[in-house]
Amino acid sequence: MDLYAALQAVINGVLTGALYALVGMGLALIFGVMRIVNFAHGAFMMLGMYATYVLFTHTNISPYLLFMVAGILLFALGYLIYFGLLRPIHGQSDFMQILLTLGIGLICTDGVLLIFGADYHQINIPLLGKNIHLGEHIVVNAPWVVSFVIAVAVALGLYLFVMRTMIGRAARAIAQNRYAAPLMGINVFRVQAISFAVGIAAAGIAGGLLLPVFYIYPQVGDQFTLKAFVMVVLGGMESIVGAALAGLVLGVVESLTSLYWGNEWALAVDFVIFLLVLSLKPSGIFGRQKA
Amino acid sequence: MKRSHMVAALVVFFVSILLPLVVETDYALQILFRIYLFAALGLAWNLVGGYAGQLSLGHAAYFGAGAYGLALFSGKLGMSPWLAAAMGVVVALACALLIGGVSFRLRGPYFVLATIAFAEVLRLVAKNLAGITGGDVGVQAPALFHGNVNRAFYWAAVVLTALSFAVTVAISRARFGYYLMAIREDEDTALSVGIGAARTKLAALLLSAALTALAGALYASLFLYIVPDQVLSIDVSNEIAIVAMLGGAGTVLGPIVGSVVLESASEIFKNVFKEAHLLIYGMLLVVVVLFLPEGIVGAITAFLRRRALFGGMKAKGVA
Repeated sequence: MDLYAALQAVINGVLTGALYALVGMGLALIFGVMRIVNFAHGAFMMLGMYATYVLFTHTNISPYLLFMVAGILLFALGYLIYFGLLRPIHGQSDFMQILLTLGIGLICTDGVLLIFGADYHQINIPLLGKNIHLGEHIVVNAPWVVSFVIAVAVALGLYLFVMRTMIGRAARAIAQNRYAAPLMGINVFRVQAISFAVGIAAAGIAGGLLLPVFYIYPQVGDQFTLKAFVMVVLGGMESIVGAALAGLVLGVVESLTSLYWGNEWALAVDFVIFLLVLSLKPSGIFGRQKA
Repeated sequence: MKRSHMVAALVVFFVSILLPLVVETDYALQILFRIYLFAALGLAWNLVGGYAGQLSLGHAAYFGAGAYGLALFSGKLGMSPWLAAAMGVVVALACALLIGGVSFRLRGPYFVLATIAFAEVLRLVAKNLAGITGGDVGVQAPALFHGNVNRAFYWAAVVLTALSFAVTVAISRARFGYYLMAIREDEDTALSVGIGAARTKLAALLLSAALTALAGALYASLFLYIVPDQVLSIDVSNEIAIVAMLGGAGTVLGPIVGSVVLESASEIFKNVFKEAHLLIYGMLLVVVVLFLPEGIVGAITAFLRRRALFGGMKAKGVA
C-alpha cells in the first residue's frame, strides 16, 4: 500500500511539475539566457491566471482555450515592459533590475488586490468531477492530465523557439557575447524584448493552465517567483531543458515531502535544496556551465 | 563629521526626544515610532546593502530572530525581557554567521536569492514548528516598557536610530568603511590589494544583524504578539531595503530620509488603498530605479555639487 501512495505522489508531482517547468523555462529564457533578473515572474504568472479567470467568468469558454489569450496578453505586456521600463536601465547593475522588477511585481500583485480583492476563488468546470483510474490504486484528476498535456506541448514549443528560430538563436548569441552579437546584425533590443515577452507569456500560459486545478488569489504568484529561480539554478542557468527537468524534480520532491512530512514543509524543502545547490554546486544539477 | 553637522545631528536628536511633549496622541506616536524604527532598520541594512553593496533582501531573518528571541527566551525559558532581547541579538548573530558564510560566496543575483531563501526557510520553520513558536497562531512577546508605553517605545526607537546613525558615521569615516566601499566598487580589486573581503563583509553583516534584531525586539514588544507572516515575511525585508534605497544607499542620511518619506507615504496610502498599500512601495521602487538611482539624498547631493561647481565657475567668469 505504501508503495502505491508513493507512486501516486510521484505521479501527482510530475503533473504539477510540468506546470512548474513551464514557469521555470520562461525564467530560464529571461534570466538564464538573457541575464535579466526578473523578480516579477510569479506576478506575471498570477496575471495569466487572473486574465484566464476574468475571461472565463465573462464568456464561459473553456480555460483550456482561454490560456492562449492569456499568453498573448502577457506577451504584449512583456514587450511593453521591456521597452518601457527595462531597456532604459540596460547596462546598469543587476540590483537595479532586481529592484525594478520587484517593484513591477508589487504593482501587479497589489493592483490585482485592489481590483479583485483578497478573496480566494476557484473555477468550476465539468472536467473537475472526472477521475482517471490507472489500475486499482492510482487515481488522477482529469483536468490535471489535460493541463499536463498542454503544458508539455507548450514547453516543447518553447524549446523549439529557443533552439530553432532565428530569434531564439539570436537570443543565445547575445547570451554568448553581447558585444559581438550586434556586429552580426542582431538587433539586441528587439530580440531581447521578444524573448522577454515569450518568457513572460510562458509564465502566463502556465497560470492559465493552473487555474482549473488551483485556487486563485492575488499573492498566488509570490512563491512561484522564487521557485522559478530555484528551477533555473538547479537546471544550470542557460539550459531551457535543465529548467524543465528541474521543474519536474521540484514537483515530485514537493509531492513526496507532502506525503511523508506534510504539505507545510514542501516549500521549505525547495529552498533548502536551492541553498545547498547554490553553496555546493553552483553550476546546477543538470548544467555544465558555471553559474 | 564637520562640527556644524555634529551640532545639527544633536539638535535633531534632542528635538526628537522632546517631541512627545508636543505630540500626545497615541496614533501620532505610533507613526513616529514606525518612522524611527525603519530609519534604524534602514541604517542597519545600509551597512551591508549600501556601503558594502550587498543587496540583502532577507533582513526579515534578523528582524524575526530579534522578535522571536525576545518572545521565546522570555516566554519559554522565563528570562527577563531585556535579557531575552539580548538573546534575540545572539540568535540573529548566529543566523548572520550562517547566512553570510553561505551567501557571501555568491555574487549578484545569486547573493540576493540566497538571502531571500534563508529568510523564507526561517519563516516556514517558525510557521511549522508550532510546538516551539506557536506556529501561525503566534506567540506572546513580553513588554519591555510599562506605564506610558507609546512614549517609551518612541524614545527607544529614537535611541536605536541614534545608535545606528552613530555606528554608520563611525564606519563611514573608518578604514573599515573604506574597505566596504572598495568591495562594493570592485570586489576583485579589493581582494587584490589585500582586503579580506569575506571577513569584512561578514563583520558588516554581524553589526547590521545585531541592530536589526534590536529593532525586531522593539517591534514585537510594542505589539505584544507576533506571527511568522508578520515579522519574518519578505515584505519586511523589502520594506527595509526600500527605505534605504529610496533615501540613498551608501549615504549616512539616506535611510532616515527614506523612512520619513516611505512611512508617511504608506500611512497616507493605507487609508486610500487599504490592504493594497504595497502598491505605493512598488511605484516608489520603479520611480527610484528609473529617476533616482542614487536615492533622494544622493540626488540632492549631486544637485548641490553641480550647482556649487557651476556657481563657482560663474564667479570666476568661466561660464
